[in-house]
Amino acid sequence: MMSQVVVMKNKKNKFAEEPVFTERKDYRPDGVKETGLAFVGHEISDDRTVMNQFLHYDQLYTIRHGWNSKFFIGLLDGKILGTRCPKCGDTWVPVRTHCWNLDCNLQKTEWVEMPLTAKVHTWTVAGWSGRSSLKRLPIILVYAVIGDSKVAIANELHGINPWDVEFDMPLKIVFKPKDQRIGAVTDFHFEPADGWKPSPMNPEKERIKKLVEPVYEWVKTLK
Amino acid sequence: MARKVCIIGGATTPFDYGPTGFESIEGGAAECVKETQQDIPNFSLRDLDLMIYSHFSVHFGHQLAPEWIIHDHLGLVGLPHYRVENGGNTGGSALYAAALAVMSGHHDVVGIVGWETMDSVSQSQASEFIALASDTRYELMVGGIYPIYYAAMANKWMKENKVTEEDVATIAVKNRNNAMDNPKAQWYRNEHKYITVDDVMKSRLISYPIKKYDCCLMTRGVAFTVVCSEKYAKKVNPDGYVTVDGMGLSSCTIRAGDRLNNPGWKERYGPGYPEMTEFGACRNSAEQAYKMAGIKDPLKDIDFGEIHDAFSTSEAQIYKALGLADETNIAKFIRDERTSMHGEIPMNPGGGLLGYGHPVGATGIMSTIECFYQLAGMIPKKHLSKKTEVPDAECGIVNSHAGTGTSISNFILRRH
Repeated sequence: MMSQVVVMKNKKNKFAEEPVFTERKDYRPDGVKETGLAFVGHEISDDRTVMNQFLHYDQLYTIRHGWNSKFFIGLLDGKILGTRCPKCGDTWVPVRTHCWNLDCNLQKTEWVEMPLTAKVHTWTVAGWSGRSSLKRLPIILVYAVIGDSKVAIANELHGINPWDVEFDMPLKIVFKPKDQRIGAVTDFHFEPADGWKPSPMNPEKERIKKLVEPVYEWVKTLK
Repeated sequence: MARKVCIIGGATTPFDYGPTGFESIEGGAAECVKETQQDIPNFSLRDLDLMIYSHFSVHFGHQLAPEWIIHDHLGLVGLPHYRVENGGNTGGSALYAAALAVMSGHHDVVGIVGWETMDSVSQSQASEFIALASDTRYELMVGGIYPIYYAAMANKWMKENKVTEEDVATIAVKNRNNAMDNPKAQWYRNEHKYITVDDVMKSRLISYPIKKYDCCLMTRGVAFTVVCSEKYAKKVNPDGYVTVDGMGLSSCTIRAGDRLNNPGWKERYGPGYPEMTEFGACRNSAEQAYKMAGIKDPLKDIDFGEIHDAFSTSEAQIYKALGLADETNIAKFIRDERTSMHGEIPMNPGGGLLGYGHPVGATGIMSTIECFYQLAGMIPKKHLSKKTEVPDAECGIVNSHAGTGTSISNFILRRH
């Protein structure tokens, strides 16, 4: 038996309420544009047996944050929003929209505002990074636990010498000025909590200092 | 009862950055097959009944479904094929898939081609491509690339286990110097020098405690191997085949920071593990592989390994996850050189990722092939000397590792 087919002509079949976007901000840096696919050059070996071709590809992506959106909107507002499971109480930043405990059976979580304080779980001092980050080197990257979160979040630690970072050091979360925020994790960074003082120099600190010094010099040479 | 799974042979292109001599991926795959046929003249492409392709990032080749190009080029049209992608554990996962196919009895002879062409963009851009396999919403944008994530994990691990920068530097030295005996290794083909701990300590900072020489290489390379039933192995390579006696695959969180209190691990190993320091998926998959292969004491029962030394620090962390040492003796285990060629369990005699190279989709296959060569007694033929041969090797471990330890597989291979 044939099943019934409903044909809907000229009418959008809506399965969910469409969001109405009323706030839009563009902050495209100079020189960033979508070119699509473009061959921009080539080279051929002297014996004409090998060819390399240069392809440029640039595409605009729409990152749809969907149910995670509140976290990123929170950043614009200078807030760190976490989520909490109403069943087991576990809390997370980075957020989870459903609980990770299998006993809670993917329970939907609730949004909670987190304190703007954290503690270093582990750390590193980067002297090399991805192309977009080279000029910011050296970078102190910490994994830090915000409030009662069950997980650590990665972000940069500013405001101290790279060799002074310590395990378990108390941190505060500092946001960029409101007009510079873009709704991404780069809207905030960590700084040492008020009143925190680094411990005296020791052999490990001296070692890190020695490793980091050439990085400062190298970054100056970047165009 | 599951069928026995065997490996009859395989080969890689030279691993390199820039020209390898086999610059096209499909040409490289063809040359790997031809070298395998030189070793096993009775192996024919007509015998294959499944092809599995092992490739990590289509970003590098700017080509979706590039496996279709290779498959066509090898003349295999009509044969079933699919691609496996699982980060740095792509090769191990492809081997896992091939082994399952044979074990099930549904397929008899499965070819695996793995490759990556990481030199199509600059090194810093390539680092960023790889970091697209971290959670881009939370980690990529805060200066995060994989060496930085690994450094943050290793920094804490080294302090807790009293392992020093010099200790892990010995691992970088070992693998690079092993690679100097391997003409296909990128280190042999490019830098081509023996190094010392001092060289590692003086190399530029990547992310404390990791320096340049603690990091594996970015590589262009292709690898091919054949996984099959014992019946077929006995037919084409009766004297040289190797059996896959154990295998395990496990997972951990994509964001390393999510494993401090993870309920999945708490259920398996109790609270406080794996933390941000241990590779839980390595321990878990090794336990599966050991159980399947009847390994009771890995240090005694396994003769050598080809393991995923993306960083010198991670090789040290892997020793512990494989149960070769624990927090009371890991530093001494390294200092006693127990994984060097003269130690009781040489690790990465082929050079590993630090020496041979790390073309992601080909890497786990390369490790498998090196393990196979050792067990099949082919090292004197494939390497430059017997220096990197593990004499009378009966049992080897292959380890393949993704993300920040996010997916890890282990395989126990034995001479039949």
